[in-house]
Amino acid sequence: MSFLLQSIFNGLLAGCIYALFAMGLTLIYGVLNFVNFAHGELIMWGAYFLYLFMGTPFGFPLPIALIPALFFTILLGIGMDRFAFKPIRQANRLTLLIAALGLSFLLRNGAQLFWGAELRTYGFEIKRGWRILNMSITINQMAIIITTLICIVIVYLLFHRSKLGKSMRAVSDNLELARVSGINTKKAIQFAWILSSALACVGGILLALDTNLQPGMGLINLVKAFAATLLGGVGNLWGALLGGIIIGLAENLGVLVISTGYKDAIAFGIMVILLLLRPPILYGTQE
Amino acid sequence: MKKIYYSLFILIGVSLILSPTAKAQETYKVGAAIALSGSIAVYGEGFKKAIDLAAEEINGKGGMKGKKIEIVYEDNKSTPKDCVTAVRKLITVDKVPVIIGPAASSNFMATAPVAQESKVVMLSAQGAAPALTKAGEYIFRVFPSDVLQGKGISDLCLQLKYMEVPIMYVNNDWGLGLKNVFVENFKKAGGKVTDEIPYDEKKTDYRTELIRATKGNPKAVVNLTYIVEGSVMFKQAYEMGINTQWICGSAAKAPKLVELAGKTVEGIIGTYPVFSQETKEYQAFRALWTKKYGDAKIPIFGEYNYDMVILIGKAIEKGGYTSDGIRKALFEVAKGYRGVTGDKTFDQDRGVGSEYGVWTVKDGQIIDYKK
Repeated sequence: MSFLLQSIFNGLLAGCIYALFAMGLTLIYGVLNFVNFAHGELIMWGAYFLYLFMGTPFGFPLPIALIPALFFTILLGIGMDRFAFKPIRQANRLTLLIAALGLSFLLRNGAQLFWGAELRTYGFEIKRGWRILNMSITINQMAIIITTLICIVIVYLLFHRSKLGKSMRAVSDNLELARVSGINTKKAIQFAWILSSALACVGGILLALDTNLQPGMGLINLVKAFAATLLGGVGNLWGALLGGIIIGLAENLGVLVISTGYKDAIAFGIMVILLLLRPPILYGTQE
Repeated sequence: MKKIYYSLFILIGVSLILSPTAKAQETYKVGAAIALSGSIAVYGEGFKKAIDLAAEEINGKGGMKGKKIEIVYEDNKSTPKDCVTAVRKLITVDKVPVIIGPAASSNFMATAPVAQESKVVMLSAQGAAPALTKAGEYIFRVFPSDVLQGKGISDLCLQLKYMEVPIMYVNNDWGLGLKNVFVENFKKAGGKVTDEIPYDEKKTDYRTELIRATKGNPKAVVNLTYIVEGSVMFKQAYEMGINTQWICGSAAKAPKLVELAGKTVEGIIGTYPVFSQETKEYQAFRALWTKKYGDAKIPIFGEYNYDMVILIGKAIEKGGYTSDGIRKALFEVAKGYRGVTGDKTFDQDRGVGSEYGVWTVKDGQIIDYKK
């Protein structure tokens, strides 16, 4: 029983992380109508920026190092748009996709050049988890769940209560219509990048806290997030959230039945089935 | 137009100067397609140190027939695809007759047919998959096959009275090969394998696999893992409060594992091919290492890499600088040769034998296990 509970808990944890990534991914899709395959590298660089500011020569403690890490990840996100995507904004989607893939390689190898391919950790002491209901839960894992909840609340408030969020939703609905209605679309796009990068940074740091840092960490999780995005309906923020959690749960519960060698295959299996079936509930309305 | 002609001339001139055929060959080049980046670069760095040390040793003693050995490194980026590219480059561009092959059995086995087809000798100093040298007569290994180690792990479980164990393994040629040998031997001896859990390399989260492996609280779990995957797993197992006796193979026996995973690897045990550290060959090697690198932290498989390069040097000296010469001479020079890692006589499968010992981690040190 505790075995099942623990699996569900682990699934939720993985789901939270996927959801954070999927929300960022879907945000950019909603506004700019393309899949940013370099989003995984924002995740990775976010985690590495924190590593940078916590290590020598800075040596900041975690809460302080968070600030420059967030700042630089957002800067990287905006830079990405400014120098890679903006010049080809009007190009077809394939061009954008290839640009994103190229950027992803560049950033990943860049990190490898800087920090090497080896595994790194933030160097916190490893502690036994608490036992709750016969499950083991670590402090980092609690942080993941709480932070994800906070992020969701913030995103919700921004989207539904602020003018900027509303204009972003308008842009995401129809860019041209939004523009003629007098909405500052440039500002909305920039805001989407800021939010997307911030979510990636937070998610990446949480992931690295719970596991490790590695230049390839963004890539594998991005593909999962992509599956979550599809599951939730591309461009649908709350769908992405739900999709992430479903993928996380499916992966963790799936291997109880089938061989663990196929763990990653589960997410992709779901993705393929969805693409083939395209159930109308998922592809109905856009947020 | 003139400009184009000029630049063409310059280009041709430069390529002539840089062309390797333009100058007389002053050294005997030996290719090394090792991992300098990618997931197993953590091993590659140590191999390079050991290889350099051996090359220096050969050159310090006057080289081979008066010529020096030169190691041409080519990064294999830790992936089978790039390993093949690296080996192809060494064969076609550098035209070396002998290559130090990539680490990780999967990577090595991806490149072995390429070397075999081109009739270039390739050696492995750490590949343990039973089928490693199957590609043909140009492929050698100075490291013992897992057929021996699989039996070693099975014997260890029986000796410690763990009759029912689940087995976790890295899902590649090495892990699968070793797992199969283990399961076969263990079952034959009356043991029961409760579950088989393959897992992928390079992941950051192995909790699901760990949960599945420790279902029903087994007293011991066999885990055929590498350094990086092992360090992630043992950390997560510790956080999850898993209490079991971990039994590993040789690939995890490294100071780096302890460095990455800290106290969480205390008490794990594993088998590894042993060679006596009391021999004069080992003592001499250790002294050389300390002299060159300032400490006695010999990396995993370092001794095997050293022996391999020394053997290559001897083979070039005896058989000449051609691949067929080296291939034939390798058997002769290795016969009865006592290297740092013991007797290096090649058997009919171009592999070597070994004995197996048991290691454990105690107080952050890797030591021999004593019951």
